[in-house]
Amino acid sequence: MVMDIETIVKTAIANQKMIDVESISLATSLQDLGVTSLDAITIVYEVEEICDIEVPNDELENLRTVQDIVTGVQSLLAKKAQV
Amino acid sequence: MTRDETSRVVVTGLGSVSALGLDTDQFWAAVKTGQSGIAPLQGFSDETLKIRLGAQVKGFDAAAHFSSRDLPLLDRYSQFALVACREAIGQAGLEPAALFDAAAVIGTGCGGKETDEITYTHLYKQQKSRAHPFTIPRGMPSAAASQVSMQLSIAGPVFTVSSACSSANHAIAQAALLIRAGVVEVAIAGGTDAPFTYGLLKAWEALRVVSTDNCRPFSADRSGLVLGEGAGMVVLESERHARRRGASILARLAGSGMTADAGHITDPSADGAARAIRAALRDASIDAQVVDYVNAHGTGTLANDRTETEALHRVFGAHAKELMVSSTKAMHGHALGASGGLEFIATVLALRDGIIPPTINFTGPGEGCDLDYVPNVAREKKIRVAISNSFAFGGLNAVQVLQAV
Repeated sequence: MVMDIETIVKTAIANQKMIDVESISLATSLQDLGVTSLDAITIVYEVEEICDIEVPNDELENLRTVQDIVTGVQSLLAKKAQV
Repeated sequence: MTRDETSRVVVTGLGSVSALGLDTDQFWAAVKTGQSGIAPLQGFSDETLKIRLGAQVKGFDAAAHFSSRDLPLLDRYSQFALVACREAIGQAGLEPAALFDAAAVIGTGCGGKETDEITYTHLYKQQKSRAHPFTIPRGMPSAAASQVSMQLSIAGPVFTVSSACSSANHAIAQAALLIRAGVVEVAIAGGTDAPFTYGLLKAWEALRVVSTDNCRPFSADRSGLVLGEGAGMVVLESERHARRRGASILARLAGSGMTADAGHITDPSADGAARAIRAALRDASIDAQVVDYVNAHGTGTLANDRTETEALHRVFGAHAKELMVSSTKAMHGHALGASGGLEFIATVLALRDGIIPPTINFTGPGEGCDLDYVPNVAREKKIRVAISNSFAFGGLNAVQVLQAV
């Protein structure tokens, strides 16, 4: 399976906020989607489970857009691949 | 509204078990001198556990407190409740007859998690097919209340109150209302919790609010709460009852305020907190301008400390700058349902002794945290009126107003 991180992240957000996945773009701000702190940790949890990664707490505080999550996950996966 | 002696509620006994000690003398000695009960977490070897710190009760020997006949039915949270209740009742010097008719209102956020997790491990992990018959009576959320009733022969209204981190304050408020309504003359109330179980630690870890370095309430570099455990219990009586029997009165519980945010399950609201403080002051018929000290909820999370400070500004206006505000959680940890009980005790003793507990680990004010947090060192100051805040997950708020006697 080729992991499409963007789809995984968008689907996790869409599921949590119960919105259409098509309505989410990479530039969408999490604040505009009404993502609360509990939403954020739940979305990250879903992505962690699927991608088998661990997102450190301090990285969560810097997430502003969908792109931020995608970039963060890609970077963690790249690090994991090096190990 | 002016209350007469039958409906004025006073505090006559205190009992505690916490990371700061096995009784209230040890607790207060540590609080006064700004000692921390937070230490590297003991008893868990799992390397995936990110929670590495805890305010665990140290040196607690259950066998020294309970007979081998009683012990099998006592979850750790019930043990803490009983030891704290015994101490509070001992200090109050209550006769068995007064105790028989008394109420016991026991707060807990978690209930008997130790018991539940032992059984779940047995079933899920070890693939056994039978649960231990004590699982329900030992682990149920009301087990501690039942044990307090049974072992101390308290036979009036006895029940559990559960409102997460506000459990103890809600329990104390219910007990005071029972006295004010004339249902009972005496009540023992407070909170107990023993949350250091593997599954519960993992669940807290998932919330990403637990600090991995330390608890630094109101500081710019605060990084979350540190879990604690223990129990804080108090004896409440009508003032008439206390005076008739010549009891030593430690403080007056002038009023309680309870509100709900009706908002978010984890994000706190300054409005809900402010309404609870106002409700408590109104119930006590006490003007905000005479409040000297606030024992804050002060968890050390980014959200709580900012929101609580905003709530204090809303209620106290210009007087907010005159308040001394401290969080004792940096010392005894966030003992969840027990926290309000421990903090109530710290507040009573601050009034009694004229010593304001410090906010230890304070490194400098965080954004939106601009009050006098009594940084790092206790302050000697005679005070007349103090409030103690509890603001729980789920937006359940309970505030006590205490007055010196």
